Amino acid sequence: MNTIQKKIWMLAGIVIVMMFAIWLALTFYNQKMQDQYNDILQRYLQMNEVTASSQQTVTNLNDYLSNPTARSATTLASSQKRLQDAQASLLELRNADNEFSLTNYSNMIESFIETVERSAAFSEQGENDIAASEFTEANRMSVYISEMTLSIFNSELRTYERFYRDIIRQSQELNTMGILLLSLTSVLLLLFTYLFSLSITKPVHQLTKAANELAKGRFDQPIRVNSNDEISFLAKTFDHMRVNINKLIMEIQQKAQVESELQESQLLLQQSQMRHLQSQINPHFLFNTLNTLSKKAYLDGAEDTSDLLVSVAGLLRYNLKRLDHTVTLEEEAHVLTQYMDIQKARFSDRLTFHIDLDPAALVYQMPSLTLQPLIENAVIHGIEPKEDDGEIWFRIKEEDQHIRVEIEDNGQGMDEHKIEQLLTGGIDPQEGHATGIGFANVAKRLQLFYGSDDVIKIESMPQCGTKIVLKLPKVTEVESYV
Amino acid sequence: MKTVSSRKGERTVRRKVIFVLCSLCAVLGFFTVLSVNKVLNSEWELPSAVSSDQERQRIVLITQELDTPFWKLVGQGAAEQAEREDVGFELWGSYGKNQEDFLKQVEIALHSKVDGVIVQGHDTEEFQQLARIKAASYGIPIITVANDVPVEKSLRKTYIGSDHYAAGELLVEQLVADMGTSGEMVLLGDAELEYSERLRLDGMEDSLARYPEIRSTYIESGSSDEEAADAAQQALNEHPNVDAFILLDIRQARVVMQEISSRTELEPFYLYSFDDGSDASALLTEGKLDAIIEQSPEEMGEKSVEMMMKWLRNEVVPLDSKGYVTDIRIVEGKDELP
Repeated sequence: MNTIQKKIWMLAGIVIVMMFAIWLALTFYNQKMQDQYNDILQRYLQMNEVTASSQQTVTNLNDYLSNPTARSATTLASSQKRLQDAQASLLELRNADNEFSLTNYSNMIESFIETVERSAAFSEQGENDIAASEFTEANRMSVYISEMTLSIFNSELRTYERFYRDIIRQSQELNTMGILLLSLTSVLLLLFTYLFSLSITKPVHQLTKAANELAKGRFDQPIRVNSNDEISFLAKTFDHMRVNINKLIMEIQQKAQVESELQESQLLLQQSQMRHLQSQINPHFLFNTLNTLSKKAYLDGAEDTSDLLVSVAGLLRYNLKRLDHTVTLEEEAHVLTQYMDIQKARFSDRLTFHIDLDPAALVYQMPSLTLQPLIENAVIHGIEPKEDDGEIWFRIKEEDQHIRVEIEDNGQGMDEHKIEQLLTGGIDPQEGHATGIGFANVAKRLQLFYGSDDVIKIESMPQCGTKIVLKLPKVTEVESYV
Repeated sequence: MKTVSSRKGERTVRRKVIFVLCSLCAVLGFFTVLSVNKVLNSEWELPSAVSSDQERQRIVLITQELDTPFWKLVGQGAAEQAEREDVGFELWGSYGKNQEDFLKQVEIALHSKVDGVIVQGHDTEEFQQLARIKAASYGIPIITVANDVPVEKSLRKTYIGSDHYAAGELLVEQLVADMGTSGEMVLLGDAELEYSERLRLDGMEDSLARYPEIRSTYIESGSSDEEAADAAQQALNEHPNVDAFILLDIRQARVVMQEISSRTELEPFYLYSFDDGSDASALLTEGKLDAIIEQSPEEMGEKSVEMMMKWLRNEVVPLDSKGYVTDIRIVEGKDELP
């Protein structure tokens, strides 16, 4: 990852390297120039040394001639030595332009030294006149040497004039280059800095924008930041947080929905209990009375009546206590059968009740008092208006995923509008209902219990009977059901 | 919260800034590269080092008349020959017959132990001293060029240049051809005649001896312009019927002619001279001079270096001490000098 720190280091590094390179180049060039200057100056100094030492030699020779002592001889020798050294160093100064004159120069010095030696030698031999004339000669040659030095200086100056001009021109060019290089570096630096700052501020802007979106409550837009530094890390973390918040909100919403559904089911329960209470003015009294009546009827030999009364009592008892509990399908089926016994007594030949139970399906749990209101509905709306041949089928079958419960009648049926009304509770339970629990109440309770909307289905057409199909998930145990 | 338009504006500003910076970079970069190139490529022109350790032989040509075209041509010829022979060559000398300077140059050349000295002969005691004693003591060969100094006086190896005696004769023949065999003429000559001038004079006088009808007078014209002018006056005064002038020294020609033309017409006079001065070609083309003896300065230069090299390489030993003669010819007035 390219960290911001790395970027800063890189920028600083580039600047330092650039500065260093420029400094190095300039220093190198300056050094080169200085060396050249030194070389040239050295030339002049060497030539000057020749003149100086030749004059020195003449002076020393004069001293020696006028006062030939060992000391003056040594001085003369040393000045001669100095002149010879200077002469030797002249060789290095030769180039194509001054080869001729420098050779002349060098030879002249040689001749001079020879003359000086001759003069000294003659002086030693006592030939003072010849020594003096040689001295004059040497003196003249010394003057020639000085003149030659000057003329070589002159030609050197001429030779190196072009060189000086080159150096001056080049140093001007170097100045121009320096200024250009400086401005280029500055502009480059500006550009780099700008891009660098952009690379930091742009992701920050993007992040700010994303934060604003979040602040406005839009949690569904992913946060994208085009960067590869810490900001991008921050953005990723931020995005992660957004996703988490989004998830949390969803969960809260779901919980709230579940809670509201729960409240609704409680409300429905209370409603049905209310209806229930209204209808059971003294259920226990009624229950006991029914039992007494049953015994009485039995004793009077009306066994049918007694059985009927037992059924009514059983139904009543079931109604009394089971509303908020789950029951097995078997219990529900039992109550249903009792209810149908009563209805059969009422309708006698007009009602035929077919029952078909799958024993394997009877062990599963379901809310109580759900099947009885449905079959009651079938009786009231399907059989009652009919003159005869009323038939009701009740089937329980176990299927792969669920238990299929069918309640079918061959009554007058209903249209889709009515089906809709029935399901949403648009029709109030009519009088004559045993429990007063409406179809819609049952449907809602089933849906709440199983947490599924397609538990109950009505298949009906006018004049073609009605078929209510329940698809109940297989529930074996319910911990709590309010 | 920024609006969309402001964000878009920001983006265009950003693009503009980057564009401006980039183009600045490009322009500056271009110029920087140019300038760096210039700095790197401009090498300092130092004189090249000596090609070999072996010292080249050095020949010096010394004259007293560096200022005349004649000697420039001699120097040129010698330099070209030296180039061909690959030998170091320099033209030294003095201006306007400065003898002291000239002798000093010769002395310096000898002290500098050059390999050969080619010199404009100068018939003086000092010169002979130098040539005989100094040069001999250093073992340096001397060749005279254009102007000779007799070998017995100078111990020169040889002489390269015109046969001045023949030149004198040739000029007299031209005079006779122009003027006829009778008339009066004036010879104007320097105070101190060079050996070559004396030879010319000899040649002319010997030649004139054959024409008794021609009266000739020699008048010394001194060495300065004033003296030359006076000499011209004197000639005109003393010889009012003079027909021809022969000037031994071409450098006095202009002064003399000015003097004559200030008195009378220049045209009737016959004017002759020897070419070794600057005015010759101009005066000839102007038609003021009737004829001059033209020498071959370039040939002299070339030949002198050639002979010197032959001597130094021991190819021709000894050199002909009589000398090697170069061409002379008459150039008449209005004829162009080559």
